[in-house]
Amino acid sequence: MRLGVIVSDFRNMDETLSRLKADKLGVIFVSNGVYHTATKEGGKKSPLLEKSPNMYVLTEDLQSRGFSEVQIDSRVKPVTYSDLVDVIFNDYDKTIWI
Amino acid sequence: MATVKLGFIVKSLPYKTEASRLALTHAIASQTVEIYLEDGDMVEPVVAFIGDGVLNCLKNQKAMNMYGVTSLEQHLKNSLLLDMRVLICKEDMEKLGLSEDALIMDAEDIGGETKANIAPFSEIMKEMDSTNHLLFF
Repeated sequence: MRLGVIVSDFRNMDETLSRLKADKLGVIFVSNGVYHTATKEGGKKSPLLEKSPNMYVLTEDLQSRGFSEVQIDSRVKPVTYSDLVDVIFNDYDKTIWI
Repeated sequence: MATVKLGFIVKSLPYKTEASRLALTHAIASQTVEIYLEDGDMVEPVVAFIGDGVLNCLKNQKAMNMYGVTSLEQHLKNSLLLDMRVLICKEDMEKLGLSEDALIMDAEDIGGETKANIAPFSEIMKEMDSTNHLLFF
């Protein structure tokens, strides 16, 4: 299964995400989930960035919160709303929101 | 003559919920209650950002451009324009790797003269202790 996981919170996401297994796992950071991609807590990057090689962040939510694309982790691909529709429908069989 | 001091403590992240926006709009609106008070009585709001709440203070928020909603940046600048005391927790800033340059520290671009203060949590605790009413958002 190709599973897309939408992450919209900054806290308490790790446990659920770590238990999910898929042939292809995609992590899509939206809303307050974008903080995972652009902040370093205690000098460390978010552990969620280790969960998948396929990671995306919604640029509209990123910029609303005062970040620019140059501030995000290099492993994360910035996507717009219209890009995100393509990602969800073309690259994943199922999408969940945690 | 008496002054009622209100503490608005913001620990929530912006936008996903209305909590931090409500803190700032309520803090600003609290000053209007003076029309119902006796002459000389005053209301003094203080806003403090702690924990993840310090992320409300990031500069360059594009919420209006992206979603057509007022940004927390604008609300914070309006607070400073009204000479409200604004505190940002130093320890939480450092924990999240935020520098002073990244934060909204003044409202000079809209004519404000008051600046936000970066303060250790101990100072914020003293401020909370000195308030008559404490509201957490």
